[in-house]
Amino acid sequence: MLQVRHLSKIYTGKQPSLDDVSFTAQPGAVTAIIGPSGAGKTTLLRSLNQLITDDAGEILLENIDLRQLKRRDLMKQRTKIGMIFQNYNLIEPLTALENVLHGSLARKSTLAGVLSLYSRQEKGEAMALLADVGLQEFAYHYAGDLSGGQKQRVGIARALMQHPTMMLCDEPIASLDPRSTVIVMDILRRLADAQDMTILINLHQVDIAKDYADHIIGLNSGRVVFDGPVAEATAAAMAAIYAAPAQAAAAAG
Amino acid sequence: MPLRPRLLPQRGEPMTMTSFFRKKRLHLTLLISLLLAAYAAAALILNFNSLSFLYLHLGIDWLAVNFIPNSQSLQYWGNILEALVRTLLVAVASTSVAGVFALGLALLGAQPTGPNAALRWLIRGFASVLRNIPIVGWALLLLFSFKQNDFTGFLALFFLSLGFLTRAFMETIEAIDVEKIQALQVTGANYWQVVAQAVLPEILTPVLSWLLYMIENNIRDATLVGLLTGTGIGFVFDLYYKSLRYGPAGLVVLAIIMLVIAVETVSSLIERRIGMIAD
Ligand SMILES: Nc1ncnc2c1ncn2[C@@H]1O[C@H](COP(=O)(O)OP(=O)(O)O)[C@@H](O)[C@H]1O
Ligand SMILES: [Mg+2]
Repeated sequence: MLQVRHLSKIYTGKQPSLDDVSFTAQPGAVTAIIGPSGAGKTTLLRSLNQLITDDAGEILLENIDLRQLKRRDLMKQRTKIGMIFQNYNLIEPLTALENVLHGSLARKSTLAGVLSLYSRQEKGEAMALLADVGLQEFAYHYAGDLSGGQKQRVGIARALMQHPTMMLCDEPIASLDPRSTVIVMDILRRLADAQDMTILINLHQVDIAKDYADHIIGLNSGRVVFDGPVAEATAAAMAAIYAAPAQAAAAAG
Repeated sequence: MPLRPRLLPQRGEPMTMTSFFRKKRLHLTLLISLLLAAYAAAALILNFNSLSFLYLHLGIDWLAVNFIPNSQSLQYWGNILEALVRTLLVAVASTSVAGVFALGLALLGAQPTGPNAALRWLIRGFASVLRNIPIVGWALLLLFSFKQNDFTGFLALFFLSLGFLTRAFMETIEAIDVEKIQALQVTGANYWQVVAQAVLPEILTPVLSWLLYMIENNIRDATLVGLLTGTGIGFVFDLYYKSLRYGPAGLVVLAIIMLVIAVETVSSLIERRIGMIAD
C-alpha cells in the first residue's frame, strides 16, 4: 500500500507544483491521477520514486518512508517500483530483449551488469515477459524499429522484470493510437487484478480513467481537488477538476 | 519574423521594402570592398604580383613534366610503401589511444555522467586548449623533448585528437535524452551499469563516426608532421624532393592520395554498416 501525506514541492518562488498532497493507493487497484496540463501529475509521480526531491511530506511504501532513506536503501526500494513513460525511454540501439533484461540489473553485481552477463534463468524470464505482452517474435528486433505501442509494451516488460509491487505510469498512452491504447491499458489492468499490484496512472483522458480505474484522484494547481472511487466521479466532479484554478480550489473546500 | 537589429532603419526612419533592400545592398558592397582592400594590402606587403595568376599554367606544366613517375621511380616503391604503412599506423594508433582517454574524460566531464560542474568546466577547458593548438605547433613543441622520431609524431597527433575527441564525445553524451538515463536509474541500476547499458549503446554510433573521421584527419596531418619530425611518408617526400628525385617524389604524392581515398572508402563502408544497424 502507498500512503502519501502532506507532500509539497515548490520549484521556483511562489506557485507550488504540489501543495499538501495526501492520498492512499491500494494494491490490486488502478488509481488514475487526472488533471489539466501543468496540474502537477508528472511532479507527483516523479517524487514518488524520488526522481525529483520534494520539499516536505511523507511517502510510505509498505510503511517505509522513501523520503528518509539513504541513497543505497532508496536504490533497493526503487526496484519495487516500476516506471513507464510517455516517451517509452527505451535504449533504442539495443534489442527488445536486452531492454527487458535491464529490469534485472539491480539484482546483479556491477560487473555482471556492465558486461551484460545475464543468467539463463534471467533470459528465460525476460522472454516470458515479452510473450506476456505479446511481443515474443520481436525479442531480437531493435527497440528503435518497434512501433509506439510495441515500445510501450517493452517498457512495461522492463518494469516487470524488476519484480515490482507498484507501477508508476506517466501518461503511458498519450502518444499511442486507439488500438495500442486498449492493449496497453488492458495489460496494466491485468497487473492489478492478477498480480495485486498498486497501479498509478497519470492520464488526461477522463473517459479512459473511468473505463479502467477503480479510484480517481483529481489534481489542479498542485492540489488534490477530487479523491474518490470511480462511481463518485460524476460529470460535474470531473468538470470541477478541469476548472480554472480558483474554482477548483473552492471546490476542494 | 523580427529582423536582425543592425538591418533595421535608423530611429525615426520608417522601414519600407526599398529601404530594407537598399540597406542590405550597402552591407554587401561594404563587405566586398573590405575583402578587396585586404587582398591589395596583403599583395603589397608580400610583394605578390597579381599577374602571377597568368603564369599559373607554366608551374603546372613543370609539375606535369617532372613529377610524373617513370619506370625508374618504381624501384622506390618498397621504401615508399613502408613509410606509408608507418604513417597509417601512427595515425590509427594515436586515434585509438586518444579515443580511449577521451571517452574517460568525456564521461567525467559530461553533465549527465560527471560528478560536478567544476570538473565539467575544467575538462572542457583542457580539451579546448589541446584542440586549439595546431598540429604544427604540437610537432614543434614536442620536437624539443622527444627529438625526431615516430613517437614525437604520435604524441602530436595524440594530443590534438585527445582535445578534439573529448569535446566531441562530451557533446554526444550531453545530447542523450536524460529521461533514458533516468529510466534505468529508477530500476535501481547503479552508476556503472547505467553507463554501460544506457550511455555507451546510445553514443556508440556517433563515437565510431568521430573515430573514423579522426583517423582520416590524422593521416593527412601525419604526412605534414612527418616533414617536421623526419619520419614516415612526409620525410620520404622531403628526402626525394630535396635530392631532386622528382619522379619518386611524385610517386609519394600518388601513394598518399591513394591511401587517403582507400581510408575514406573503408570508413564510409563501415559507417554505412553501422547506420544499417542503428536504423
Ligand atoms: N523542472 C521544473 N522546473 C520548474 N518548474 C517545473 C519543472 N517541472 C514542472 N514544473 C512546473 O510544475 C508544475 C506542474 O508540472 P507537471 O508536474 O509537469 O504537470 P503535469 O504533468 O500535470 O502536466 C507546472 O506549473 C510546471 O511549470
Ligand atoms: Mg506531465
